[in-house]
Amino acid sequence: MEEEQTVRELGHDEFNPNGTLALITLYFLILVVMWVFMYFVEFLGNELTVVG
Amino acid sequence: MNIHSYEKIWLVVAILLIVGFISTVTYGATAVGIDMVSDDGGTVNASALDEDPRFSDPRVEQVGDNEYEAYVVAQQFIFKPDPITVPANSTVTFFITSPDVIHGFEIVGTNANTMVIPGQVAELTVNFNEAGEYGVLCHEYCGSGHHTMEGSVVVQPEDEFENGGAE
Repeated sequence: MEEEQTVRELGHDEFNPNGTLALITLYFLILVVMWVFMYFVEFLGNELTVVG
Repeated sequence: MNIHSYEKIWLVVAILLIVGFISTVTYGATAVGIDMVSDDGGTVNASALDEDPRFSDPRVEQVGDNEYEAYVVAQQFIFKPDPITVPANSTVTFFITSPDVIHGFEIVGTNANTMVIPGQVAELTVNFNEAGEYGVLCHEYCGSGHHTMEGSVVVQPEDEFENGGAE
């Protein structure tokens, strides 16, 4: 018994994983914000700092 | 080679991220002047610290205008001298060593933090801008009394400071 299946051909460039893109963009922004906070606020703002 | 446009975006952005990491650290090292704890202090004979010209008498010594050197011995389970007394608006270079086991030296809540290794002298330079008091903790397990091993750094107002540490 055979069922009729819908087949859709998708080329390499037509496949756009927008959900993945959105997720990774979000992760990326969190990463950048956390880096800026960690380095500039937590580290550089944490006087006394070793200067020599 | 066929690279998807999203992959191209990712390649570029990931490289920018790495460049960003490196440039922030470079900014810190050049514009802000962040440095590393160094081993320029050299080595000492850990079993004869009392004969060492630098560490036989742990102290704070004036070496220039507003420049001081602090020779600190971390041992089970104290820091010498305690308190380490320095004036405000000064640049202090700490030389720290240990006669027994590995200790830690952390001016609590700050970036001034190093390991203290027997026979080696850790060197770090710090600017003290305002009068106040800092705690000093050992943060490397050094024995049964480790949890009691603490000291302090007292930053006195310039006009109250006398070399050698005023009371």
